[in-house]
Amino acid sequence: MTDTTSTLAQSVVPMAQDLFTAMVDGEPGLLLPMEALEEPITDPLYAWVDIVGPAVSRTLVVTARETADRLARSLLLKEDDEPVTLEDVQDALGEVANVVGGNLKAMMPEGSSLTLPVVEHAEPSASRPADHEQALLWWGGPILIQLWTSTNGEDL
Amino acid sequence: MRVLVADDSRVMRQIVLRTLRQAGFGDWDVVQAGDGAEALALTRAEKPDLVLSDWNMPEMNGIDFLRALRAGGSSVPFGFVTSEGSPQMRELAESEGALFLIAKPFDAGTFESALRPHFR
Repeated sequence: MTDTTSTLAQSVVPMAQDLFTAMVDGEPGLLLPMEALEEPITDPLYAWVDIVGPAVSRTLVVTARETADRLARSLLLKEDDEPVTLEDVQDALGEVANVVGGNLKAMMPEGSSLTLPVVEHAEPSASRPADHEQALLWWGGPILIQLWTSTNGEDL
Repeated sequence: MRVLVADDSRVMRQIVLRTLRQAGFGDWDVVQAGDGAEALALTRAEKPDLVLSDWNMPEMNGIDFLRALRAGGSSVPFGFVTSEGSPQMRELAESEGALFLIAKPFDAGTFESALRPHFR
């Protein structure tokens, strides 16, 4: 793991917890780090942002549609049984990727740009496995954050 | 008092509105825009007393939105609400005429600290 990846990796959990505490849950302690996923995420949604320029990085957030639905309800202050549209769910999960990626960008060399978030049912293509991944648990639902970094111009 | 909130995320615009209420600014009228170009047109048409804008948006990003306002002679108070809060971006925002930059994640206290010195 490069120094850059290591620095970013160490920041992912506190950054994600700050995000959920301030804007999702309104209280700390509900987003918990896990050693690894206990089983593959079913019916996954993938949200990612890229950092492009002198520094290259991707932040990918993966979670089950069910957990993404709960996330959208929490962000929009909806009741547990209220329906949410796929558009709202994609918007909510994309914002999680955007905030995590944006905060990571602040730790990288100047001059790079953050792309708009992309949310899909299929994972983005990548030439190699992620440099770092962090499993998290929120209301019983797993959330996986994966990071790729490149400091020598190689493709992600 | 009228505020224009510009963000391409509808969810984030709702969070900004909620946070404004929680910070004690719930009586403000709100105009919403989904990208920088729409925000520029609405700011010129609606003449808000404050603009709160995301930085990274389609069509026109937040810093170009601010530059276009200033180039057109508008001195409307302008603050960024963005996921990127590096020192370089804060410097750029200030040099282009922004009052403040609120980095996500934020809470009501963050909004109150940023807004209260300028708006009672």
